[in-house]
Formats: sequence, C-alpha cells, structure tokens
Amino acid sequence: MTAPQSGRHLLGALGTVVVGAVVVVGVSGLLRVLAAVPPTLRARPVGVVQTAVGPLTRASLTLSTYPDSLAGEHGSGGGAHPGWVSYGPTTNLWVPAHALVTVTIRNYDGATTLTDPFYGRVQGTVGGVEWVNGRATRGVPAAQVAHTFTIHMFPTPGQPLLDVSVPLPGVPASTPVGADGYPAPTVVTFQFRTGASGRYIWQCEDPCGTRVGGFGGPMSTQGYMTGTLVVGHG
Amino acid sequence: MADLGPGAAAPGNPRGGAGRGVRPEPRHIRRVLVIWAIATVLGIALVLNLHRLLPGLLPPMASSEAQGVDFTLGFFTVLAVPVAMLVWVFAAYSIATWRVRRFEGLDGPPISGSPVLQTTWILSSALLCLFLVVYGLALLTNVSAAPPGRLLTVDVTGQQWQWNFKYPSRGGVTTTTLALPVNRPILFRVTSLDVDHSFWIPALAIKIDAIPGEVTTVYAMPTREGTYTARCAELCGLYHSYMQSRVRVLSAGGFSSWIGAQERVWGRGGG
Amino acid sequence: MASRWWSQSVLTGVPMGVVTALVAALLTRAIGGPSASDAAICIGFVGWAFGFLGGMGAFRYPRTLLLARPDPTAEEEHQLAVQGGGPWRYFRFTTDHKVVGIQYLVLGLVLFAVGGLAAMLIRLELLRPGAAAFPPATYNTIVGLHGIIMIAGTIIMITGPFGNFVVPIMIGARDMAFPRLNALSFWLLFTAVPVLLCAPFLGGFPTGWTSYAPLADQAPPGMDAFLVTILLFGGSVAVAGANIVTTAITMRAPGMTWTRLPIFVWGAAMTASTLGLMVFPAFMAAMVLLGLDRTLGTSFYVASGGGSAWLYDNLFWLMGHPEVYVIAIPAFAVIMELLPVFSRKPLFGYRTAVASTTAIVGLSVLVWAHHMFVTGWAPQLNGPFMLTTEMISIPTGVVFLVAVGTLWRGRIWLTVPMLFVLSFLWNFVIGGMTGLYLADVPTDYQLHGSLFVTAHFHYTLMGGALMGFFAAFYYWFPKMTGRMLNETLGRIHFWVTQVAFNVTFLAMFYVGLQGMPRRVADYSAQFAAGNFVASIGAFVLGAAMLVFAYNIVSSWLRGQRAPSNPWHAKTLEWQVPTPVPLENFEETPVITSWPYDYGAPEPTPEGAAERAPA
Ligand SMILES: [Cu+2]
Ligand SMILES: [Cu+2]
Repeated sequence: MTAPQSGRHLLGALGTVVVGAVVVVGVSGLLRVLAAVPPTLRARPVGVVQTAVGPLTRASLTLSTYPDSLAGEHGSGGGAHPGWVSYGPTTNLWVPAHALVTVTIRNYDGATTLTDPFYGRVQGTVGGVEWVNGRATRGVPAAQVAHTFTIHMFPTPGQPLLDVSVPLPGVPASTPVGADGYPAPTVVTFQFRTGASGRYIWQCEDPCGTRVGGFGGPMSTQGYMTGTLVVGHG
Repeated sequence: MADLGPGAAAPGNPRGGAGRGVRPEPRHIRRVLVIWAIATVLGIALVLNLHRLLPGLLPPMASSEAQGVDFTLGFFTVLAVPVAMLVWVFAAYSIATWRVRRFEGLDGPPISGSPVLQTTWILSSALLCLFLVVYGLALLTNVSAAPPGRLLTVDVTGQQWQWNFKYPSRGGVTTTTLALPVNRPILFRVTSLDVDHSFWIPALAIKIDAIPGEVTTVYAMPTREGTYTARCAELCGLYHSYMQSRVRVLSAGGFSSWIGAQERVWGRGGG
Repeated sequence: MASRWWSQSVLTGVPMGVVTALVAALLTRAIGGPSASDAAICIGFVGWAFGFLGGMGAFRYPRTLLLARPDPTAEEEHQLAVQGGGPWRYFRFTTDHKVVGIQYLVLGLVLFAVGGLAAMLIRLELLRPGAAAFPPATYNTIVGLHGIIMIAGTIIMITGPFGNFVVPIMIGARDMAFPRLNALSFWLLFTAVPVLLCAPFLGGFPTGWTSYAPLADQAPPGMDAFLVTILLFGGSVAVAGANIVTTAITMRAPGMTWTRLPIFVWGAAMTASTLGLMVFPAFMAAMVLLGLDRTLGTSFYVASGGGSAWLYDNLFWLMGHPEVYVIAIPAFAVIMELLPVFSRKPLFGYRTAVASTTAIVGLSVLVWAHHMFVTGWAPQLNGPFMLTTEMISIPTGVVFLVAVGTLWRGRIWLTVPMLFVLSFLWNFVIGGMTGLYLADVPTDYQLHGSLFVTAHFHYTLMGGALMGFFAAFYYWFPKMTGRMLNETLGRIHFWVTQVAFNVTFLAMFYVGLQGMPRRVADYSAQFAAGNFVASIGAFVLGAAMLVFAYNIVSSWLRGQRAPSNPWHAKTLEWQVPTPVPLENFEETPVITSWPYDYGAPEPTPEGAAERAPA
C-alpha cells in the first residue's frame, strides 16, 4: 500500500469514528426525549426552625394522587395512558438539605389492599405519625390504603438513610364526586428531616398498577407512581 | 480439478506421532519449560499480592462463609496460574521463535499429533477437575449446614423495590434496616411478593433468590461488626439498582438494645 | 418472471408484511376488545412475518406441493438460484448458498452495529454514578436490547455467513441440501429484526435478554415484541440447523470421509444441530407460555395462580447454557481451521479435537442448572451440576492443546486473521479460568448476579467467540467478496480491540469482585473508579469497531482484487476460482487427502496447496 493511499485510509477510518461518536450522542439524545423525563418540583424554603438537632430550613411540598392521569403533569388529555393512576403535579422532587420538610398529599383515589401490610405503618416521619384529615395516626389497615409515599435506598454508602414511608388512606366509595370529576380527597400531612445532600427515589408500595402483582404500568413508570427525590443545596 | 490432494505423498488419514522423520528438538522444550516455571512463580507472586495492588478488591469479608470464599478465590487463582502460563508461554515462545515475515512456501514439520501428550493432557486436566469437584463439594457441605450456636431467624421479604426484615422471635418486629448480632448463626428465610429478586450481602458472601410463592433459605455467621449493604442481585424491574438496604452487624449488647428500641416503636403501631 | 426488478423482493415483502400486520392486529383488537391489546400486538407481529415471507415468494413451492402441481423444472430451480443476477438478488428469495452467506454476513454486521451502539449507551450511563444519561426504564430496555441483539448476532455470526458460504464448497457440494429452506432461514431471521426494534416504542422491556418471568408477565407491551422476536429467531435457527446438518451428512463429495472432513464443518454442523434443533426450542416454549400468560391470563409463571418462576428459569437455561457453548464451538472450529494454515503444519490431534468438540456439545446440555445455584430450586442438585460443569472444562482444555501443539515448530505467518486466532488464546484462557469460580457453588454464591459474571461471559463470548468471528471474517472475506481487506487497518483494528477489550473487562472483573450487581443503572461511589475505566475502554473498543466498519466498506468497494488462494490453504473452497461460480465446481471433486496435510517431506516453491493434481 502506497503512502498517500494509506493516509487516505487512516483519514477515512478517523472520519468513521467521528461519525460513530455523533451517532452515539444523537441516539442518546433521542432516547432522552423519548423517555420524557418529568419536570422537577422544588420544595419552597420558608424560613428556619430551631430543633433539638440544630437549626433546620423549613420547606414544604404539596402533591396529589389521582385515580387517572387527567389532572397531573400529563395534561388534561391524560397523555399516553389517561387511565393510569398518577401522582401530580410531577414526580421528580427536590428538597433542601438539613431541612424540616412538610409534605401534604391530597389523595383522590379509592383503596387497593396492600400486598405487604408493613407499608400500612407510618415510618421515618417526625413523631412517627401522619395527619389524616387533621387526625394523627401511626398506621392504616392494609385494606384501606390507596397508595403509599415511600422514600428509600441509598446508591452510595454514607449517604444518610431517609426511610420515610406513609400510607395514604383511600377515599371511601360512597364519597360524592365533585365538580372537578373527583371525590373530596383524603388530605395526608407529615414531616420528615433531611440530612446531608443525596439522591433518593420514592415510589408507591400499594399494588395500584396493572398486570402481575399490580406493579406494572404506572407503578413501573416514572411520572406516574414513582419518581426521584434529590436532597440538595441552593 | 478432479483430484485435489497431493496423492501418494500423503496418507489419507491423520496419524498420530512424528512418524515422518521429524527430528525432535529437546532444547526448545527445555527452554520453554524454564520460562514457564519462572512465569508461574511470578504469576503466583502477583496473585498473592493483588489485594495490595488493588485496594478494596473484595468487600470486607465479615462472615465465616466469606472467609471461605475469600480463601477459595485466591486458591483457585493460584491453581489457574500454571495452567494459563502453560498455554501462554508455549504459544508466545512458538510465535517468537518460529515467526516468519511473509509466506515463503515453506511448511513446518508434519507433526499431526502425539498420543502420549494428548493422553497426558486429558488425564491431568481430569485430575485437576476431580480435585476441584471434591474441594467444591466439601466447601458446599460446609456452607449448607447451620453454623453451631443459637440460631436467629430473620424473614426477608422482597417487594419491588425494597427489602424488609422481620424478626419472628421478637414479636414480628419488621424493619427496613437489617441488624444482626455478631458471632451468632443467622437463618435467613427469603421470599418475594411479586417478581424474582436475589438477596445478596456481599460482605457476608451470601446470596439466595427471593422467589414468589416459595421460601428459600441461607445461613450466615457474621464475624465482624460493621455497616454493610444488602443488594438485590436479580434484575427486578425499574428500580433494581436502588433495591439496597443497610446492614449493621452489632455486638451482642448493641443488638439487644437496637431490637428493644424497635420493639417499642413496633408495639406503638408505627414502623 | 423474477428477473423483473419489482417482482417479489423486499419491495413487495415489506408492504405486504405491514398490511398483514395491521389487518391481523386490528382484527384481533376488534374481536377481543381492549383486554386483547397484548394479543393484538403478538398476532400483528406474527402477521408481519407471514405477510413479508408471502410477499417475498417464500410460499410458492409449498403451495405447489400442497396443490399437487408439477415439480419445478431444472430451469426454474436455476432461476431461483440466480434471481436475475446483479445486486437485486440479495434482496430476493434467492437459494444460492453464496448469496445467503453474504446476506447473513451483512445482517450479522448490522446486528453487531446496533448491539454495539447499545453497549456504548450502557457504558455512557455507567461512566459516573448517578444515572445521569438515561432514566432507569430506558436503561433497562437498552440492556435488554444489547443482550438479545448480541446473543442473536453471535449465534448466527459464524454458522450463518461462513456455514452457508463456505461449508458446501468445503465438502465439495454444489449447494446446501435444502436451498429453499436456506433462503427461508435468512428471511425469517430478517423478519425478527424490525419486530425487536419496535420494542422500545412499545414501552420497552425491563427484563434484560433473560426475560425472567414473572417480571416478564408484568412488563409493558415491548415484552410482546421481544417474545415474538424469539419465536421468529428460533424458527430461523431451527431451519438453518436442520439444513447445515443434512448438508454435512449427505452432500459430501466422494472421498470426503468423516476423518477428512475439515474441522470447521464438524464445528458448524454440530453446533447448528444442537442449537437449532435441540436447544433453542426450549426458549421458544418458554416464550409461548409467557405469551399465553400475557395474552390469555394463564399463570404458568405466576405463583398466585399455581405457576412457578422456577419453571421459567429451567426452560430458559435449558436453552441458555448449551447456547453459550454452542456459540463458542464454531469459533473453536474456526481457530482450529486457521491454525494449520498459518502455522503451515498439520492440525495437532485432529481426532481428539473432533472428539472433544463432540464431548462439549454432549455435556453442554447437562449443565444448565449451574445458572440456578442461587435460585434455591434444588439445592440437592448443586453438587451434581458442579460436577458436570467442571467436567466440561476437560474437552474445552483440549482445544488449547490442539492450538499450542499446532503452533509448536510451525512457520507462523502472522496475518491479520492469525492475530485474531492468537488473541483467542489469551482471552479464552481468562474466560475459561474465571468460569471455575462460577462453577464452584460457594464462590458462585458470592459472584452470581455480579459484574464478575458479565466480565466472564464477555471474555468467552467476545474475547473468545467474537475474535474467532473476526479471524474467520478476515480469512474468508477475499473468497466471499473477491477483495482483500486493508491490512494496515486490520492491524489497527486488531491491536486496539485487543487492548481496549482487556482494559474494559478486567475493570469489570474488579467491580464485580467488589460487589457490584450487574444490570444496574446506578451504583455506589465505591465502584466509580472501575466503572470509569471500563467505560473509557469500551469507548475505545467502539472506535476500533468503527475502523473495522470503514475497512469493510472501503475494501469491499475498492479493495485490492483477491487471488483465488491468498493464504495458500488446502481446503476445497480455496481451490475454486474467485468469484466462485454458481455451481461451485465444474465437476464433482474427488477427495484423496486430509486438508491439513502441511509439512510435505520436501518444501515446494509454490507452497503445498498449489501443487499440480496427481
Ligand atoms: Cu399507588
Ligand atoms: Cu429486586
């Protein structure tokens, strides 16, 4: 092989590598778009509170759970799966580090019996309680739970545990439907403390989805019954 | 093109042995065996020092089962070195010695086999294999039996995508952090409520699948206090990566006070 | 009639397939209602395959048979093999085994390109902790696609292109035993590809290529696409397997006795028969049961309905384990075929090599439950399966003796194919040795399900089998295309591949030993260093494959013309002209000697292969 030929070949090979890199980047961009990552809801910091463990930022989050996908982030048409149960307004959450977070969840959905009654217990909240329509409680019987809000896991050792899990009691079937198409919700409030920053995920542990075990469909799809929780600064 | 063979010059079938006047070359054999011996010694030295070169190569081996696994991993590697070196050194020596720049129309000697060598190779690999099986069976018998001592039973439940741990001897206290007393045999009874999971504590070197509708069991004997991780080792859907729990191996006293505190919370109806 | 450019080609097949798919899916949906959406998807995809094959003209002969019409004339058979000549015959139902070989080669390379792209995306996600590139559902689908595409690609990569193009010529035959089934096997494989690529648009599938139930019961409709893909692919493999075995048994030229049969034919035929006819049907059965679970609500794998996840595990691994050996055997056969050519020496221990290959195939169907040591299914069987698994290392080890024995005192000609043969000796030793830890039950308790396993099987399937494919590719490309591949680019491809491959997967052994599970989208900071190295290695490996891709395209279009026997080899395919004529041989060859008869008493200037016929 002569020198100019060889040079041309090397150039051609290099060009192919560049084209390949562009294809990888292009396809990953396309897949991100297809994945439709939900927007992030940031908890509003509202001042500082003194606690036994030192000063903590106060922050609050308000979420809702619906028997369908018509009222949350998927738009009034409900997106690809209007019939799927969903959390709203979104499922990617952000809360400040070293904060006392107050969460309010309005549940508009009826109950589905838990697979594991363990998740009917309130865990990891301040005082070990949640307030259901203003009444403090430590647990809900498995048959009355509609969904749960369960934060867990740590991809990295050393990241503080945040084993928060609260059951959301279902709306009784007899509740009349209001003007918005939903019955009056069960309002659940609870507080938890965050430590240093870290990445968590949260999910529902009630088999409210589709297919085997009730964990298919919305239960296995971010943007419906599950999402991420980032504890951060700023 | 009716007849493509060299005809009378060659026998129709491969025959073993250097039967066609091939001169033996013992000096090559001697040289390559020396190189092999040196390479084996160096290789074993490297294997024995690998954990110094690569910090954190293995998780902290914090149970008696893990110590067995730790030893076996090293032992098998040491056994593998001479075998691997045999192939590599012979191949590398051949390439270095008998490489030609371009095709010259010359062939090598017509050695088409050596029945003695082939038999020796097969027999020695069979012996090595037999040893590995016997060794493995002995170790397996050892880890399959309950370790001596007063057994603590923990019921492990996998559900997409979290583990929980129930202490049946403590009134069914259930937690999401697993705490274990050190130097006490543990029996894990593992099940799943939905799909296959696999309960794995790398630091204790135990793993057993969580199968829906079945209870699988595994024993462990933690030997070192510390904080470890339990992971799911079977792809179980969306959050398989995050299906992890904290494991704390505590002193006997530490464990009693931890479980006592959990019992009080549990009795109040909270998690 | 088939000579007209528009008649019965992919141009008629694709529209007919799409229309049939839509009709089938909509009808099912209309009859079954909303609960039949999974059934509609499955039936639609099956409809696509039948419609496509019909549009290609695949059913003309079966129709003739069923309606008892007269058999096709010799002229019609000839027409079916030629299909008007020219490039369009590659897009038609063409029966010439050389056309089918090229079709398999190109489709195999396309599969590797797509699977390789998926590998790059996986390593992009794992470059740093934090699942920054993709959300976990997307990542899981990418992992599954990478797995199944690469498994399918490696299953067909040697027996498809080279088994079809080379094997008939090697044994002195004019074509395969069943030319129509040959064309059918390729086009059936072709129909599976778009079905699989639909999966990401149907919600993907979270199960990886092992598609473990009951997770597969729970998965979105992408799983339906996956299961139909397996059924189509399994059909293709079965048809191809029956064909290659029958060809090797019945089509050998006079004098091509079993002991003169090139080792590559042994490897290809045994593999094809085991995989296609005995082993893959277990996976197809598993997928049929899964399909019933998903569409009709049966509960084969659902414990609450009396089913069992262990049933799935067993069906899957009854295929899964023989399958990995059977992927490796054609590569072993390529290695053993090429070593004598480039060492200019007879194959060392030919009969032992054939016996060992047979033993591997036989034992490979008895080891499946070593993938189930940690499932808790039958602890009392862990010991016996450890025994069979370690027994298989005996015949596998013989391959190394054969290799080293052939190299010893040869005149080693380091061509690009030979470099890949030699890299096999490095990689497969590591792959095989690390298998010992997984065969030993107590160490498997620790390593199973970790990235150690991933690294191990990449060392065997990629470092071993794929290197065998590369060797075969560089070796037979001149005969198949009439062009030589560029050697400089070939050497760059080889060295970068070999180094980057080892960097990538040694790093993966490291994180696996540290305790990192496989198939995770996100991981602890303690695994960051090893994953970073593995990702960088993988990107370089990807670049090497692109150099290879450029070499293929540029050499195929404008490469140096290949002589008929550039490697001075003795097997029959190198004794026919390049390009190979339609009938391969002018008259049936008569075989009088062994193909590895290198090392004549006195050397000849032209090399042994070019001596005048007796
Ligand atoms: Cu829910
Ligand atoms: Cu899991």
